[in-house]
Amino acid sequence: MSLADFLVETGSRSKRLAGRSIGLPRLRAEALLPYAVPVAILILWEIAGATGLVADTVLPRPSAILATASQMLWSGELLTHLGVSALRALAGLAVGGGIGFLLGVANGTSRISETLTDSTLQMVRNIPHLALIPLVILWFGIGEGAKLFLVALGVFFPIYLNTLHGIRNVDGQLIEMGRAYGMTPRQLFLRIVLPGALPSIFVGLRYGLGIMWLTLIVAETLSASSGLGYMAMKAREFMVLDVVILSILLYALLGKLADSLTRALERRALKWSPAYANR
Amino acid sequence: MQIADYAIPEAQVARTAPGARVEVRNLSRRFDDNRVISDLNLTVRPGEFVSIVGKSGCGKSTLLRLISGLDQPSAGQITVDGQPAEQAGDRLRIMFQEPRLLPWASVSDNVAVGLRNGRDKAAVAQALRAVELSDRGSFWPAQLSGGQRQRVALARALVSHPGLLMFDEPLGALDALTRLTMQNLIQQMHQQAGFTAILVTHDVAEAVALSDRVIVLGQGRIIHEAQIVRVAPVGRGSPELAAIEAEILDAIFQG
Repeated sequence: MSLADFLVETGSRSKRLAGRSIGLPRLRAEALLPYAVPVAILILWEIAGATGLVADTVLPRPSAILATASQMLWSGELLTHLGVSALRALAGLAVGGGIGFLLGVANGTSRISETLTDSTLQMVRNIPHLALIPLVILWFGIGEGAKLFLVALGVFFPIYLNTLHGIRNVDGQLIEMGRAYGMTPRQLFLRIVLPGALPSIFVGLRYGLGIMWLTLIVAETLSASSGLGYMAMKAREFMVLDVVILSILLYALLGKLADSLTRALERRALKWSPAYANR
Repeated sequence: MQIADYAIPEAQVARTAPGARVEVRNLSRRFDDNRVISDLNLTVRPGEFVSIVGKSGCGKSTLLRLISGLDQPSAGQITVDGQPAEQAGDRLRIMFQEPRLLPWASVSDNVAVGLRNGRDKAAVAQALRAVELSDRGSFWPAQLSGGQRQRVALARALVSHPGLLMFDEPLGALDALTRLTMQNLIQQMHQQAGFTAILVTHDVAEAVALSDRVIVLGQGRIIHEAQIVRVAPVGRGSPELAAIEAEILDAIFQG
């Protein structure tokens, strides 16, 4: 069976089986499909290197990078840098995301709070947060404070804006129903406003995660003494090409991992939505 | 549709009070300079089924919102069993044109919204049985048809055994067949549970089929009333009902 036949077959099957449980072998084949392209790229890349089409000094082969990775893994160097970066990312996400969520809730539910803070926030939003790097280095040096500040600021806005948007767009008819059925303000918030805003909050979280990695890597590249960004910069100075490429590949992997985790969380939290049913 | 198993358990008879008495005195509601309800008086007896009909913009939905406490009058009083409507709590329930179910809550949890403590599983099960959705308790609202969703909304309204149930065009968005089924269901619920019912509708045939009394509203006042006395069960489309329907339609168009 050619690949095209396989795709057609899979498509028609899943249509026929919509709503019912899909057989296990078929599920596996579909689950593997997204990895086909990355794997194919790796294979072509290896072949291009092995045949000398691309020189190892320009682009080291995947096998060479893998060897470097395992060597750095054994020495513990890789895990140290990874751990430091992950901790920074999570701390920034928690601080920036937490403040963004709370302000989004406050401004979505209180007119006074919104009038007081929203126009200021809109002004700050229009400053690219990476433009603050020179200032941040002057303030915090290359300490942890600088990275935390930048990541938190970057993550703050997508989560703030989407929480606010989600709360604003909660169905007013449902809120009226809740009032008519005697819900207290607390119940209205927990049972109607928050679940109603959740899909939008997840959109904010996924945007925020992207910005989180971007900010962290830029910050670590410019000013740090540990972390993945620092590892890449140091490797550049010593012209260790495979470590540079390894760190780039790790960004891709970590970004994908964060996104997959959020998606899984989203599917769980929004399983009531027809958009996530039977998936 | 058979609803024979909606028998109220003995233990609950005592707290299942019969229908509430509704008194509306000199009620007015203005929006800016626009008088939507002017000096309206209405008494609904306990257990009575009253329908309010009229052209769109005649104030019928406003009247229902005022009685249910969703809106405040500019002047006048509304009492339910002698108390202001806001204090009626779960004695007063409303069914909207849309089901207004929480999409993120199961059917059972949606019905439980109608309960004060929200934990009485037996009451939820009983209400679901009454609307013939016992086997759908664990479904999401998105998995139900339009008619089924409106039945869940009915179960939510009935689960607290209200004395007054108000309907704001609850069947307007349903197809003709589902409408008839829902009308029968509401009628049987009313006969068995004994609540007072106020129905706002623009379907005169529906009003005549369901009610003891039909009130025609025009420019914020009652312009016509038709008492419907059923000596023997009259079928839908009988000449008697058709005559009343014609009389009401006349009143609407003259008003």
